[in-house]
Amino acid sequence: MINTWLPYILAGIAVGGQYALIAIGYTMVYGILRLINFAHGDVFMWAGLIMVYLVTILPIWASIIVVIIFAILLGTSIEKVAYRPLRSAPRMSIMISAIGVSYLLQNFALYITGGLTKTYPTIKWLQKSVKIGSASTKMVTVITPILTIVLVVLLVLLIQKTKIGMAMRAVSRDFETSSLMGIDINRVITVTFVIGCGLAAIGSVLYFSNYTGIQPMSGAMPGLKAFVAAVFGGIGSVPGAVVGAFIIGVCENLIKGAGWTTFSDAFTFVLLIIILMVKPTGLFGEKNIDKV
Amino acid sequence: MAEKKDNREVVLRLSDITMQFGGVVAVDNLNLDVHKNEIVGLIGPNGAGKTTAFNCITGVYEPTNGAVEINGEVVIENYPQGKMKDAYKGKNQGKYTKALTMLPDKVTKLGVARTFQNIRLFKGMTVLENVMVAMHMNQSESVFGATFRSKKAREEEKTMREEAMELLKKVDLYENRNDMATSLPYGKQRHLEIARALATHPSILLLDEPAAGMNPQESDDLMKFIGRIRDEFDLSILMIEHHMQVIMGICEHIYVLNYGGQIADGTPEEIQANSAVIEAYLGGDE
Amino acid sequence: MENTLSKKTKNVLTVVAIALFLILVYIGDITISPGSSWKMMITVIEKGSIFALVAASMNLLNGFTGLFSLGQAGFMLIGAYTYAIFTIPAKSHNAVYQYFDGGLIKWSLVEILEDKIGIVGHYIGMLIPMIGAGLLVAVIAFLIGIPVLRLKSDYLAIATLGFAEILRAFFQWNTLGPVTNGSNVLRKYATYDNAIFPVVVSGICIAIILLLINSTYGRAFRAIRDDEIAAEAMGVNLFKHKEMSFVISSFFAGISGALLAMFQTTINATPFNTVMTYEILLIVVIGGIGSITGSIIGAFLFTAASEWWLRGLDAGSWLGINSSLMRPGFRKVVFAILIMLVVLFYAQGIMGSREFSWDSFLAWIKGRPEAIKTWPARRKAKAAAKKEARATKAAARAKAKAAKDEGEAKKASGEKLFTALPVSDEVMVFGKEGK
Repeated sequence: MINTWLPYILAGIAVGGQYALIAIGYTMVYGILRLINFAHGDVFMWAGLIMVYLVTILPIWASIIVVIIFAILLGTSIEKVAYRPLRSAPRMSIMISAIGVSYLLQNFALYITGGLTKTYPTIKWLQKSVKIGSASTKMVTVITPILTIVLVVLLVLLIQKTKIGMAMRAVSRDFETSSLMGIDINRVITVTFVIGCGLAAIGSVLYFSNYTGIQPMSGAMPGLKAFVAAVFGGIGSVPGAVVGAFIIGVCENLIKGAGWTTFSDAFTFVLLIIILMVKPTGLFGEKNIDKV
Repeated sequence: MAEKKDNREVVLRLSDITMQFGGVVAVDNLNLDVHKNEIVGLIGPNGAGKTTAFNCITGVYEPTNGAVEINGEVVIENYPQGKMKDAYKGKNQGKYTKALTMLPDKVTKLGVARTFQNIRLFKGMTVLENVMVAMHMNQSESVFGATFRSKKAREEEKTMREEAMELLKKVDLYENRNDMATSLPYGKQRHLEIARALATHPSILLLDEPAAGMNPQESDDLMKFIGRIRDEFDLSILMIEHHMQVIMGICEHIYVLNYGGQIADGTPEEIQANSAVIEAYLGGDE
Repeated sequence: MENTLSKKTKNVLTVVAIALFLILVYIGDITISPGSSWKMMITVIEKGSIFALVAASMNLLNGFTGLFSLGQAGFMLIGAYTYAIFTIPAKSHNAVYQYFDGGLIKWSLVEILEDKIGIVGHYIGMLIPMIGAGLLVAVIAFLIGIPVLRLKSDYLAIATLGFAEILRAFFQWNTLGPVTNGSNVLRKYATYDNAIFPVVVSGICIAIILLLINSTYGRAFRAIRDDEIAAEAMGVNLFKHKEMSFVISSFFAGISGALLAMFQTTINATPFNTVMTYEILLIVVIGGIGSITGSIIGAFLFTAASEWWLRGLDAGSWLGINSSLMRPGFRKVVFAILIMLVVLFYAQGIMGSREFSWDSFLAWIKGRPEAIKTWPARRKAKAAAKKEARATKAAARAKAKAAKDEGEAKKASGEKLFTALPVSDEVMVFGKEGK
């Protein structure tokens, strides 16, 4: 029994870790800007795509570093160009801007790739075979959850212990008051995007190592799922997003294991809707009361 | 607290209303009566829980404990449940056993209309449309009939429009009927909010700081205006206000809140002489 | 206010304008030969009117009720499938459902009615499944709305997007193959034979949406958009009205889905994805959130630009400009950048929240001679301002060019990679222009 399900659980934990790395970007940006960054999944896709091109000129380790830097630059420029000018505009406008950026990034990728699926480079070390119990799996499956947890612990320490972390918490509590208290809002937001996009880039290396191909729409689905994970865990909460991502990853793979592959994507949204109905604040979220 | 003597029937009664957010008790055991055609004032320093009390009456919040009676019928009632059972800090736990809730639009249908402290007009609509929205709930044509302009829909639209015009004439906004609501000067926006509330055909009107930001002349006019609409529309009025001039000049009975709790109630003269009230407003000895 | 038109004249003008347009479309579709480049215009009119309808339906939700819903593509999908499934001729079933033993439904409504009452039956046989498609979508939207419409704006966006994805998976599910043909295309179903059909159907539907918006219910919708709490305090039942708006909007999205199926002649669930919803949303934004006229103009501009005017960008030459950059996909990139410019610098869109009226239209026309007269002066002023801006920008541009040259040089040294560089370049450049 356990032997038949173990591979699915392992795969689920791995993909959950990858979702977690994307979900952190969503949850932190939402926590601070109250914006669903629809373009985040596309930044993730672009990180993967750039990797495909980079490995032709750079060694793998250098490519990974450049990919992370690239994703950070892309994410922060998006914030500067598309979100910052609209900060005082209605919520809907900034959300539309995010959708516009997503549309642009996808179309640009479509242009660059010519609509073809690109083969993601094989990182030998990540593809190595490992045996866990009776199941044999790839190194990436083992590495992902460990790396994810290490990074999340570091991030939580950053948020809890450092000055910039404190500023982030303050801004997420009350945007206006924090700016009146002399916190440099722009810096906090930039740091948020740096962290979110950097983690998404790392996630992209792990995620695409599991799949052979990458194409312009590759970011959309993992992006949406990561967002659901963030909502599930309680949007704005980093540990919540991680827990949510692992749960979604495992459930999704168990559903695949049960032979319902068509509905493995749909499941995520069913879960989202159930969560929003039963506990809209998610597992770790706080209740917001509207002022009248 | 002295039992108030009034032979008129009670149209709005709050019994032991308590509202607790997490660990904070915003309204603590509020008991309040509004009689027919009475103008009642609700005063207290900032953060005393006045607006929260309004929100409990109008169904925006569910009170944690207590009951609201409108025209002799209990329409909202609640008691601490779930986690709140242990966290509850107020009084009278166990006195109420029913959980009756009502959405704000239903409360409005029962004849309780309100205005807002921070003006909430419909920004994308004209003055006339703002008033007509408030009449929407009283029309009976289906969405299908209204879309295809059935005879009934056309008639109802016509009556609605005429009635809205009448109302605007009464509040001196007729000239502005086709202006965007947000283009009106501040004082007129306050009047429009009241007109809009009147358009729902209320029997009880809740006014949340109607004189906020007005100069003495304007608040004097407002005072007369409130008295006038009370008579003309046969209203009972509960109002929150900081302008003592307005409150003392127009209210027959006043309730005073501080830190959520009810510290005094009585006629304007009694309140002015009440030491607890003076202390709340001017600060104690410490 | 100088001489505004009487109501009667306006009505006459409207009727004449509509009739003239319909006649032109009808004759145009008959007379223009398929090889002519003007045929493209007919295609734009067909597709534009279909997208105008779905954009108007989305605007009813987003612009007039303030519900940020992103489920439109999913609803179009149901509409398209419902229509197609009931109009595939009996003799074609085996070919279409080749992997599913000819499918479950072995008849076509169009054929049945055509046999009974002739050519009128043919059209009734098309209209019934089309309206049925709308009704089915409305029922599904009603059910989806019960949980989803209680959510706050941004959660609503994600939940509706999620439902659209679930629907897409559902329609591609192999078990439903005998009805939906699984992940294979549906084809050979009945289609219209003149462009006037989608124009008339969309026109009627949009007119109904306009009537709704201008009714007392439309006023309640707008009240919800402007201030939910105040609307509720004025006795507007939030849930009931949101549900109403959602269901009606979805009904029309379903109809437009059916029209799209007819237009495309084959359908498959795959393209009804988030990108399609985004495109519909962007049409609404270009036209102006809260203006149905805007949605119509936006839809035609969007289709004309993407299907017709910017075609050359994909083929290597456009307006006489030739460039190796212009290869398939370039059009969409240019397009996406244009849209971002609108979103960032022209957030009101073309119409803002205004609607077309003969008075303002005539006033606009009357204003033209004056505008043309003062045009040289204005142009001069503009040019001067531009020159100044150009001077300040020159330095920045030189820098950008240096970076580009460097990229070019690397490209020449055998690297394909640097075709990707313009992404940051482009973004930076228009970021600076904005300031």
